[in-house]
Amino acid sequence: MKTQKKRNRGTAALLLLSLFLVAGCGGAPAADPTTAAAATTAAATTEAATEAAAESTTSSAAAATSAAASTTTAAAASATTTAATEAPASTAAASALADPALTGTQLNLYTWEGMFPQDILDGFTAETGIRINYVNFDYDETMLSKLETAQGGDYDLVIADDYIIETVIAEGLAQKLDTAKLKNYANIDPAYQKQFYDPNDEYTVPYGAGVQTIVYDPSAVGIEITGYADLWDPALANNLGLIGNFRVINGMALKVLGESYNTEDLGIIRAAGQKLLELAPNIRLIKDDQLEADLLSGEIGAGVMYTSQVFSAVVENPELRVVFPKEGIGFGVMAGFIPSKAPNAGAAYAFLDYILDAARGADCFLYLGYYSTNRAANEFIDVSLKDLLILPEGFNVNMEMIQNISDEATAEHDLVWTEFKTATGQN
Amino acid sequence: MRTDFHIRPSRLYLGLMLALMYLPILFVIVYSFNASKQSAVWSGFTLDWYRELFRDRSMFEALRNSLVLGLLSSCAAGAVGTLAAVGLARAKLFGGEAMAFLSTLPIMAPEIILGMVFLAFFSLIGLPFGMLTLVIAHTAFSIPYVFLMVKARLAGLDKSLAEAAKDLGASEARAFWDITLPLILPAIVSGMLLAFAMSFDDVIISVFVTGVDTNTLPIKIYSQIKTGVTPKTNALCTLLFFAAAALGLLSAWAGSPRVQYKRTQ
Amino acid sequence: MRRDRRSRRVALLAVLPMYLFTLAFVIGPLAYMLVLSFMRRSGAWGVEADFTLRNYLHIGEPVFLATFWQSLRLAFATTALVTLIGYPFGYFMARLTPKWRNRCMILLIVPFWTSSLMRLYGWMIVFRANGALDRLLMWAGLTDRPLKLLYTYPAVVVGMVYALVPFMIYSVYSSAEKLDMGLLEAARDLGAPRSHAFLTVALPLTMPGVGSGLVLTFIPSMGLYFIADILGGNKVVLVGTLIQEQLMKVHDWPFAAALSVVLMALTSLFLFVYRRATHSGELEGLV
Repeated sequence: MKTQKKRNRGTAALLLLSLFLVAGCGGAPAADPTTAAAATTAAATTEAATEAAAESTTSSAAAATSAAASTTTAAAASATTTAATEAPASTAAASALADPALTGTQLNLYTWEGMFPQDILDGFTAETGIRINYVNFDYDETMLSKLETAQGGDYDLVIADDYIIETVIAEGLAQKLDTAKLKNYANIDPAYQKQFYDPNDEYTVPYGAGVQTIVYDPSAVGIEITGYADLWDPALANNLGLIGNFRVINGMALKVLGESYNTEDLGIIRAAGQKLLELAPNIRLIKDDQLEADLLSGEIGAGVMYTSQVFSAVVENPELRVVFPKEGIGFGVMAGFIPSKAPNAGAAYAFLDYILDAARGADCFLYLGYYSTNRAANEFIDVSLKDLLILPEGFNVNMEMIQNISDEATAEHDLVWTEFKTATGQN
Repeated sequence: MRTDFHIRPSRLYLGLMLALMYLPILFVIVYSFNASKQSAVWSGFTLDWYRELFRDRSMFEALRNSLVLGLLSSCAAGAVGTLAAVGLARAKLFGGEAMAFLSTLPIMAPEIILGMVFLAFFSLIGLPFGMLTLVIAHTAFSIPYVFLMVKARLAGLDKSLAEAAKDLGASEARAFWDITLPLILPAIVSGMLLAFAMSFDDVIISVFVTGVDTNTLPIKIYSQIKTGVTPKTNALCTLLFFAAAALGLLSAWAGSPRVQYKRTQ
Repeated sequence: MRRDRRSRRVALLAVLPMYLFTLAFVIGPLAYMLVLSFMRRSGAWGVEADFTLRNYLHIGEPVFLATFWQSLRLAFATTALVTLIGYPFGYFMARLTPKWRNRCMILLIVPFWTSSLMRLYGWMIVFRANGALDRLLMWAGLTDRPLKLLYTYPAVVVGMVYALVPFMIYSVYSSAEKLDMGLLEAARDLGAPRSHAFLTVALPLTMPGVGSGLVLTFIPSMGLYFIADILGGNKVVLVGTLIQEQLMKVHDWPFAAALSVVLMALTSLFLFVYRRATHSGELEGLV
């Protein structure tokens, strides 16, 4: 009885305290009606980009960008200063582009969290008078289902992964671009154009490419790694970290077997799965987020990770070695498109052109940690970071995009992947 | 003498286990003062993370969401669960037993199942994911705590008390307010308290039913653990820990014999 | 008579909110899960109305059966350890003086009010390479290089036991608190050795507490996938992990639903056995 009573008093105190806290952190901003009104329009917009935390991200870009955002600030800052000194010409061009008719309108930008440096977003609003309503999704598939529900409306500009854009275009949810409206269109690196998801470049503008590499710490790994096959070396026992993307990881085994990432032959996928099982003893961990931190802290000696994670790992520790696997290189592209019934397509064009600018593009890629898809931007990227953001000249041999495959093949990949993960737990 | 010998090893065990329970918390607290962002290295004492914490609106927004969610769901569960327990105790209703069992399913199933079914169901009926879906889901697993506690309390109550009151002319409502409610209040409050604690700490269900821009504190911490904890999160958890400890001390003080004695005077 | 009918009406009215809520948000979703498990996936996220056993047959794949086995094994290991650690704690605590009993209870509750995730993160700090434990062991000269303790099975078990042991402690405590110490004394006075007195008197009387502790530990441990996720480096694949992946990554909702149905059936079986064994559904400690 006495404990019961005591608990009550504790409860009352707790409830009081929580009420107090609610009032404390929530009451203040809402107290002023004008602030509250402004908040409904503005709070969801640009602030969302800076303050919202990443949802449990497994999608490559979202996971990677938040990581890049946290560690590359120094690099980005140094680049911004160089850009600032060389930028006047391009800034003038952009202000000339500012269309008075668009002033005061709103751009509904729909992409992962943390895809743009805050300066770029603020700069765009300052120069064009267009407010940005930054809405984020966690997975490509969320975006697709939202866009399907909205029947191609609601959003003005979407940036997502290549494979989902193929579906978006097939479903008629994207509109053809009028490239004449993009003064900086010629800046795009043609190496990333005319890909499977948009073979004639009618709908999309690429924004950053992920390139599959191996990164390792030579002091923690006794062997030299030149390709995927080396990852099977017993010297790497319990020392390898992988991302959780099964197309990429199963793809390593496919590449070792000399097959394509996109094979739909179930027998070959199965064979790759068998090959992958032999890799299990070397696996120390599998995770999508912050894998680079485990490489930096010495939990793992080598890793296969997202491009931006490689970028931030090497920025932090230049002793790390990045390898383009000799068996072949997988890559993916993030690209922007304008939905078929975009309420304010004009603002979308203005924003696309704004980020296609060479100096601003460089800022974006430094912030993102993805390979530059903007050739003109390359000269604005700091020499020390060039290797991490720009592919070597003439480097397009042996490259293959990871594309959509049949449902049966996807299911087989999934099965093989689960078998592999289960095998890693047996160590 | 004999009891002394008996008690000591057991006290040692209690102390050791409690120490182990506090060990990870101790590390979280220590690293909230770490100058380095990487928790792998200790590079000096700083209070910067607390300063940053108070500038981080999203963290406080998540805290506020969690408190609002916990309060709304535990209050809703308090009302619904109490009414149901009282109703079921008063009259044998058709299907009452089955209903009572079904309503406690949410705490009898692993959380992942609840997360999965709510995610599927809410998208089926087209509810927008956000605070509303969170409150519904949390209320669903909060009701059983209140319901079961009140039910157990009612079972131990002397029914004739309320009956006597009614026989003496008290109205149904009066008998409830004056007799039954005060008697079951402790059970209601501890059920709600438990529900609040569960809601405040829930990750699995929340992750599935939240919207893109509604973070609760556990969701925020979960994504931070995955995407890299900054000592800012340690700082927040340190503050929460000390708030909890203060409440613990408060309730210990309020319940101590000396204060109890003064109250009765 | 009239008052009786009126009383029934009032009772019905009082019960109604919970009936409606349970119907709409417990039975409805669970029924949909069952229906969904017989449907077929289609498109990126979608499902197609259909009646197929494909999803259940898919669970028959050796790798998924292995996952269920892995989950059960971890749940049993966790429950066993929780019982071994929690029982003496709850029992000893009940035998303290009231003053110390309350202090102990508060010490136990305070961590419970702190974020469980953050406490897990504390274990990460302890276990990580060159982390606290490594340094301690190296300082003591027990090892000369960092042990790789994080992302291992034992690390997962520690996390699970840590998260669930309070439930066992509360259950055992509330059982043992009611125990009449006079009985033990009497047994001792009659010449029974201490261990014998405990085994024949105290242990049977605290079994209800252990029983509800087992339920309160076992059921959550079947679903706590994020501990394996955080402390196990994703290598310990549990049913919860599978469901989460099917929902969020593979987008095969019907398969996720079928997995959930089987998991639900397993835990219900466990509950059924518990009820049969104890002849009651009440949970000591919770209630």
